[in-house]
Amino acid sequence: MALERKDADASTTVSVVTVGPARSRDALRQALAMGCDDASLVLAEEPLSDLAVARALAKVALETKPDLVLCGKQASDDDQGFVGPALAEVLGWPHVSMLTRLVAAEGGVELWREVEGGHEVWKASFPVLGTAHKSEKEPRYPSLPGIMKAKKKEIPERPVGSLGADLGGPRLEIVALETPPARGGGKILKDGDMKAVAEQLATLLRDEAKVL
Amino acid sequence: MKILVVAERKDNELRRVTLELAAKAGTLGETSVVEVTGLDRYSVLPAVSALAAKAKSDAADLILTGATLNGRDLGARLAARLGRAYAADCTGLASDGGALAVERPMYAGKIRAKLRVALPAVLSIRPGAFPLPANATPPTVTALPADTSAEKLAFTSFAPTPSSGKRVSLAEARVVVSGGRGLKGPENWHLVEQLADALGGAVGASRAVTDAGWRPNEEQVGQTGKTVTPDLYVALGISGAIQHLAGMTSSKVIVAVNKDPDADIFKIADYGVVGDVFEFVPAFTEAVKKAKASS
Repeated sequence: MALERKDADASTTVSVVTVGPARSRDALRQALAMGCDDASLVLAEEPLSDLAVARALAKVALETKPDLVLCGKQASDDDQGFVGPALAEVLGWPHVSMLTRLVAAEGGVELWREVEGGHEVWKASFPVLGTAHKSEKEPRYPSLPGIMKAKKKEIPERPVGSLGADLGGPRLEIVALETPPARGGGKILKDGDMKAVAEQLATLLRDEAKVL
Repeated sequence: MKILVVAERKDNELRRVTLELAAKAGTLGETSVVEVTGLDRYSVLPAVSALAAKAKSDAADLILTGATLNGRDLGARLAARLGRAYAADCTGLASDGGALAVERPMYAGKIRAKLRVALPAVLSIRPGAFPLPANATPPTVTALPADTSAEKLAFTSFAPTPSSGKRVSLAEARVVVSGGRGLKGPENWHLVEQLADALGGAVGASRAVTDAGWRPNEEQVGQTGKTVTPDLYVALGISGAIQHLAGMTSSKVIVAVNKDPDADIFKIADYGVVGDVFEFVPAFTEAVKKAKASS
């Protein structure tokens, strides 16, 4: 989404930052290869509280002073969806979640938010934060020159403790991680013609499962 | 424990999840249900500002929102404003001494995490996680005027998705019929729609289908789309990728129709039909109409 803005307006610069362990460099390198201008890593080998991550990112945002900060809508591991809104809160900026589209507007930007039945269009002046749901376009593949250029770029790193952010904050204490109870052992219907199977299933749903 | 439940409304009716939360909260402690009023549509900053003040003046230990699109957005920012613990999309909740025992899915639903969450806290709760008791009385809802002075955004317009709007809302539907790549193309969606109409349900789709542009994104059921917990989920021509399962395995009864007998969807289905969707679905739609008429 950010690179699409850069395609539309060449004066745009796109910086990428993450808070995480050293292996997060791979993702940053990938972003550079796709065409982002610079990348930096805030090194945190141990997991932080969600609020501490937001506070650390806020320190970086206050240094680099972007007009627009984009985050994903939720992590694919814990699915919390917290850091984006919390980062906006720490910065005192407005945020719009579930973005699918950004449109340049006089004095700011239009943010398209996907909701039931369509999109809400919100206008914001800068600075503003958005959490991206899904862009209209697929993420681009890095080009070969992009990959070569990205290899040469430095990715500066600094320990999260050096930012001066409050790294406290409420933590969720994990008591247990379990596999959810397995479903299954269902009835499989496959014999006979489809009309008979259809009638059999409708009867089962009405009389056995009681959902009709 | 003092609990504040944030009500949500759709088309003038309280959402079902609000009723579920009010009933559940009532079993845990002293509950008040508030609805942010004075906004034409949900907007996070005026709502958070009013709710943060209310939570402080009421000394609420626990704030509950529905894990809906807006409820999750609100819950996260409100927790950050108050510096409180936050857990999203919770499916289990009980009191545990002075804290909370909370369950929530992680890793696309492959893992169920049991958490101990210290109070005060903010939780968003998955719709359908606490089914509404049959004898539940409707909650008393107190109006809480939004703090419009906190607004920093301007709403400009609403762009409706073509073809949507006439059916029930996907996230809260009691019946969902979803189509996958097995339907072969958007021109065949009338099969999904006719069955959904016969069942009185909402229409969903797999990620493959929304990615291909056959159906709008908002119909996607799965980890990156909507999570649904209907009484009946019908998967038509969907193979059952983990991404999709994450959004629908909590459904009460799952029906799967697929021509591949080894499709993963059959592992979680209560009723599986191995067969051709194009042959089966029209017959099933008729059979459903008949079965409903004679019940």
